[in-house]
Amino acid sequence: MRRRRRIKPFMAVRYALLILGLVVTVIPMFYMVISSLKSNKSTFSYPPQLFPNPHEITLENYVYIFRHVSFLKYLGNTLFTALMTVLLSAVISSVLAYSFARFKFPGKSLFYGMIISVMLIPGLAMIIPQFEMAVRFGMVNHLWGVILFYSAWVTPFSTFLLKGYIEDNIPRELDEAIYMDGGSIYSVYLFVIMPMASPAIAAISILNYLFPFEELGWSQTILKSDEIRTLPVAITMFFQAHNRTDWGYVFAMTSLSMVPVVLFYLALQKYFISGLSSGSIKG
Amino acid sequence: MRRRMVLGASTLLLVSGVLGACGGKDKDASDGPVTIEFWHNYDAGSGQVDVLEKLIKEFEAENKNVTVKQVYLEWEALKNNVVSGASTGTLPDVLRGDIAFVPQFQSLNVLEEMSALSDYKDAAAGVLESANSTARMGDKFYGIAANTNTKILFYNKTLLQQANADAPKTLDDVWATARKASGGKTIGMVEPWTGVWNVGPYIWSEGGDVLAPDNSTAQGYINGPIAVKVIQQLADLYKEKALAGSSMDPGAIGDTDGWAAGAYAMELDGPWREKSNKEAGVDYGATPLPAGSKGSISVLGGEDFMMFKTSDDAHKKAAWAFIKFMTSKHAQVEMAKVGQLPVNKEALSAPESIEAMPLLPVFSEALKTAKSRPVTAKWGEMENIIATKVAEAITGQKAVKTALDEAASEIDKLIAGK
Amino acid sequence: MSNMAGKRSVWRTDWRLYTLLLPGLIFVAIFTFYPIGKMLAMSFFDWRIGYRQTSEFVGLENYSQVLADPIALRALVNTLMYAVVTVPLQMALGLIVALLINGITKFSVTFRLAYYFPVITSWVVVALLFRYIFSNQGLLNYFLADVLHVVGEPVGWLSSRVPALVVAMFLGIWKGIGWNMVIFLAALQAVPKEYYEASSIDGLNGRQQFFRITLPSIRGTLLFALVMLCIGAFNTYTPIAVLTGGNPAHQTEMVLTWMYFQTFNVTGKMGYSAALSIIITLIITSITVILFRTLARKGE
Repeated sequence: MRRRRRIKPFMAVRYALLILGLVVTVIPMFYMVISSLKSNKSTFSYPPQLFPNPHEITLENYVYIFRHVSFLKYLGNTLFTALMTVLLSAVISSVLAYSFARFKFPGKSLFYGMIISVMLIPGLAMIIPQFEMAVRFGMVNHLWGVILFYSAWVTPFSTFLLKGYIEDNIPRELDEAIYMDGGSIYSVYLFVIMPMASPAIAAISILNYLFPFEELGWSQTILKSDEIRTLPVAITMFFQAHNRTDWGYVFAMTSLSMVPVVLFYLALQKYFISGLSSGSIKG
Repeated sequence: MRRRMVLGASTLLLVSGVLGACGGKDKDASDGPVTIEFWHNYDAGSGQVDVLEKLIKEFEAENKNVTVKQVYLEWEALKNNVVSGASTGTLPDVLRGDIAFVPQFQSLNVLEEMSALSDYKDAAAGVLESANSTARMGDKFYGIAANTNTKILFYNKTLLQQANADAPKTLDDVWATARKASGGKTIGMVEPWTGVWNVGPYIWSEGGDVLAPDNSTAQGYINGPIAVKVIQQLADLYKEKALAGSSMDPGAIGDTDGWAAGAYAMELDGPWREKSNKEAGVDYGATPLPAGSKGSISVLGGEDFMMFKTSDDAHKKAAWAFIKFMTSKHAQVEMAKVGQLPVNKEALSAPESIEAMPLLPVFSEALKTAKSRPVTAKWGEMENIIATKVAEAITGQKAVKTALDEAASEIDKLIAGK
Repeated sequence: MSNMAGKRSVWRTDWRLYTLLLPGLIFVAIFTFYPIGKMLAMSFFDWRIGYRQTSEFVGLENYSQVLADPIALRALVNTLMYAVVTVPLQMALGLIVALLINGITKFSVTFRLAYYFPVITSWVVVALLFRYIFSNQGLLNYFLADVLHVVGEPVGWLSSRVPALVVAMFLGIWKGIGWNMVIFLAALQAVPKEYYEASSIDGLNGRQQFFRITLPSIRGTLLFALVMLCIGAFNTYTPIAVLTGGNPAHQTEMVLTWMYFQTFNVTGKMGYSAALSIIITLIITSITVILFRTLARKGE
């Protein structure tokens, strides 16, 4: 009886705390969107305004980036890169995770250790040798030059998460059932692992999808021509090209570039929590 | 695409070699279509890229088998891409970049010695000698001047009036005016960086220098009494909030934004400031750097065209033709209309250029005494040392003399080769 | 039974396994193992990246140069401070948010989404945004000085080492809470409900439940997050690159921003940069190993 009565105010406190945290979390975002709706000239006026007058609200920044900046092209490049990265890394890491989770073979722990230790090395640190390779493979100034490298960079973490998920959540009995029916390991991969691991694949895909939307150092090195730039490169170049900070245009671009990320996240978010449940380290 | 072109061209060369067409020189290769890649940092915002595209079309119309592929790269990306491309030879055929890149790129062993070209002398004769000296290392030239510039003193008339100050006449006046104009949200003077590009003019105008004239030592120059006095002056200004800049204080508002917002009263800056101030509606005036005790000596800036060893003969030939086109009077006047100070002597005095750049006479006057930064192989590293130590001195992390002594000994270590 | 299944799997390690394993391994090897090896080699050379230039073997010279460089050491200290502050705070706040969300019945999905927002925003964007907010004439100073009048003149948040690092840490924490929240929420939801029901009968209160049931149950996840965040902290590049660029006078450099500067701004001190990368890698590896040794064993 007593406990039940105490629950209600306790709940209210929870909601209050959550909302308070939310304000801090969301204010910068809100500020970005609001600033993108103000005239480009007034974004750096002092005093800065959090809430502009309604009559000041304008879409001119958005009109500008569609008319004068090849925004749609950059968006298309980024989307293509993101989807290819998601696909490639999903295939590669699921195959690797399946192999490491289910089989014993010579050098297994050595290979797994090597893959995992790649996570320890700062990606930017390898820029020179990787650039050399990109040149040798003719991938400079080509979207595949970022896609292949991105896929390789995200594969270790994806493999790690997927391997844990397969070990924890997919009973070996299901594999056995397939073998009983005369199926091969391919059938197990296709009909057991892939469908059963789909929440985890969705979870890693959310993480991997985000990558091309934020990586800058490598894409800036590889994507030289304007027509193949991804959004982070295009935004940074634009930001510096004008010798001044066109915050209005920059914020319009950054606000819009969030839309596909948010949509992708919303589409897959219901798998996100369950897919990550293997994100733990066992003793 | 370009890879394929290179491959195609080199195959052609190989075939012509096998056929024993030794007398043909590079004729066989140059008959085929050639695409040259051109990296640059012309400012898209002020319409320079549009003009460039127009000029490229004209050039292509004159040279039917040459296509120019232009690639815009922001200043830092331009440099980084040459650094990362140097190891593998992934470089453009032509680059138009900061004069300070010449010694840096030469130390990577990627630049083509352009003074070896048979008609380089004729082409160089058409451009300003002082501007072209920035491409010289020893007695060889590794580029040709593309544009020149120097810095003059811009001041915000409104802010000076509010502070009851006149436009400064001497360098000491500049400091006094900076103090007078500061207060509230206004800062008297802005310097976005602390390299020699920024502090050099003040030191030179007081009779000091950063390196010995023969670049053999920094001892007694960057830490000499004159340099110490000048940097001390800047440190005092910074302390009194009469001087700001994003490399001394990352929280400071950027110079262009600051001009537009009326936060800065004065800046020693180049031709681009004229345009940005006009756009922002700032009521400004400009004068050559007011003289110090040894005159008014500003810093020579600008860009050079460079060619690369990695291109084959056909591409080099096309690249050189393009460079000559870009330094011709016509192209230079067109670029002047969008804010690039010409190096072509005829273009400099062309009425169209002066009409487009009202400050051209002021710049021309400043250019007469402007000085170039040392052109020596490790200059990039040296200027970084100076920038770091000067920033430490100005922001008060170290005593001025201590910081500059450290700079001198670090630079001398570099000169000695470790 | 399970042993037999294991045996079967071993027995099934036929050629088919290698058709699955090898393409993936080769892919990772080409794009990551090879450059790592190359980088290790570079760290022992005075690596000339110029066109057709030869590099000279210098042994440990690059390493001693790094260790004698006061800026590199300061960058290392900055990075360590960043890790020491941001990692525990992110985890604590992420865990608190996860516990709060786990305990509510309505709008839990909404909150989960909203708290995840900073994570899915690009680093470049949020760093620009923070720079805009924390600059001398930015939004925060405006509120402090002109609206609330708590400070006389604008605070130089980004102007010197400590406050600028604090802003960077704040940015890191702000952006990291969502990730921690999601990971911990996943772990919390995997704790069997029966544990709590049983403990209620035993008369444990909320705090006791938290320390005796919740924490031990999610300890694997805590360790996982700890390791991942430490790695992430050493990989910090964009926040500093955008917020301060390492200024003033390299006071706020992180290891990676300093490495990038040495690689590109100083015309390719590649050997130095490679040595610096190897040193960071060694540090991260030892931290990871120490964490495992001290924390993972105790859990058993």
